Amino acid sequence: MRIEKDMKLADVIHHDFSLIPVINRFGIHLGFGDGTIEEICIKKSVNTEFFLTILNTYHDPQYFPKKHLQSFHTATLIEYLKKAHQFYTEQKIPEIQNLIFRLTEESAQHKDRYQLALNFFKEYQEEFTRHIDREEKLVYPYIYELEKVIESGKVPEKLIRRMEAYSIMDYEDEHDNVEEKLFDLKNLIIKYLPAPSNESTSYRILLELFDLEKDLREHARIEDMILVPKVEAMEFTIQKMIR
Amino acid sequence: MAQKITVIVIERSYLLRSGIEGLLKEFQGMHLAEIYDGTEKNLIQKINTLKPDCVIVNPKAITDSLNTFVRSVNNEATVIGLISGNTADHIKSRFANTLHIKDGKHELMNSLSQIIGRKKNNKAPNKNQPLTERELTVLKNITLGLTNQEVAEKLFLSIHTVMTHRKNITKKLGIKTVSGLTVYALLNKVIDIQDIEQ
Ligand SMILES: [Fe+2]
Ligand SMILES: [Fe+2]
Repeated sequence: MRIEKDMKLADVIHHDFSLIPVINRFGIHLGFGDGTIEEICIKKSVNTEFFLTILNTYHDPQYFPKKHLQSFHTATLIEYLKKAHQFYTEQKIPEIQNLIFRLTEESAQHKDRYQLALNFFKEYQEEFTRHIDREEKLVYPYIYELEKVIESGKVPEKLIRRMEAYSIMDYEDEHDNVEEKLFDLKNLIIKYLPAPSNESTSYRILLELFDLEKDLREHARIEDMILVPKVEAMEFTIQKMIR
Repeated sequence: MAQKITVIVIERSYLLRSGIEGLLKEFQGMHLAEIYDGTEKNLIQKINTLKPDCVIVNPKAITDSLNTFVRSVNNEATVIGLISGNTADHIKSRFANTLHIKDGKHELMNSLSQIIGRKKNNKAPNKNQPLTERELTVLKNITLGLTNQEVAEKLFLSIHTVMTHRKNITKKLGIKTVSGLTVYALLNKVIDIQDIEQ
């Protein structure tokens, strides 16, 4: 199903409730009423086209958001990505960590084994934080700078040197797969850790892991397919300005 | 599924064979794979293809030298001597464990369960272990923090071979990262927690 602006948002959520955290990132919260997507977006001052692009990307893995590329500001995109980061680091990951901790508490018998899973997840958390830090402290400021330079029409010497040393292509290359450890953890729980005394805790952990994994996959897709091409186009513009 | 202990018996006497068979039936998780009388051709080969965990053998049934026999049996198998009062000491000493034919049922059960208990403990790390010996060695070294290059040098392999092993390990286990493999290795006692804390 392609999500369109004249659909009722409530119907869309009934159809795919995994979109709830996504609409939250736009400041749209449950209890949003009976409006269409367009009506709700206008009320909340959200760019409707952008909102639809993100929703469709999450909803349909085949969806390729090409033609909407140029229609939103970089700032809109980056704000969204930062909100998503916040959701992962402040909500999702601590939740999973608590659940794994509960697992260690519930099974005194296998405590040391579950402790291994907990340490593993902590390591993942650190790695993930580093990844996000890099994006927010290095990549995004670089993009803002490109935008400023294009608006002003003047290319400072410093930026030319910086572009030579680092371009968004490098980011694409080093955009490592942050889901790998989640995949491992799922298999450790499914196949190799001892049976838990409380099955429902393990089940909830798995639900959360599948959920986070999917969210991160779409997040990386948005970065690779919307952010990166947009920045490539900006770099290209600037290179033409120098010549 | 519980790990089965595979046993082979080599004994000529029909009465003793049936006796041992009956005794083994009383243990759970025991699998008596074959009974030989000792005169079979290529006995060692036949035994080794069955990959036994224990070989219970009456030294008198062995036609070749007992020494050669014990050495040629796959070294994963425990060779248990079925001995009597007049078995010479130098023969008894060839075996890792012995069972005395004059022992009562209770004593026999005791000795057997001790031997099997040790076997099971040694076998436990292999539970869920679809990896080959080589892959296990590579896994062990990787989880101890060695790079592919270092593993290659240590095991006298090409770096390409090490990478192939790694790929297969990941495919078999469904674990991609080194930390994930480390947890797996710890859970399955491929390495010990002290090993990585150093
Ligand atoms: Fe990100
Ligand atoms: Fe990312």
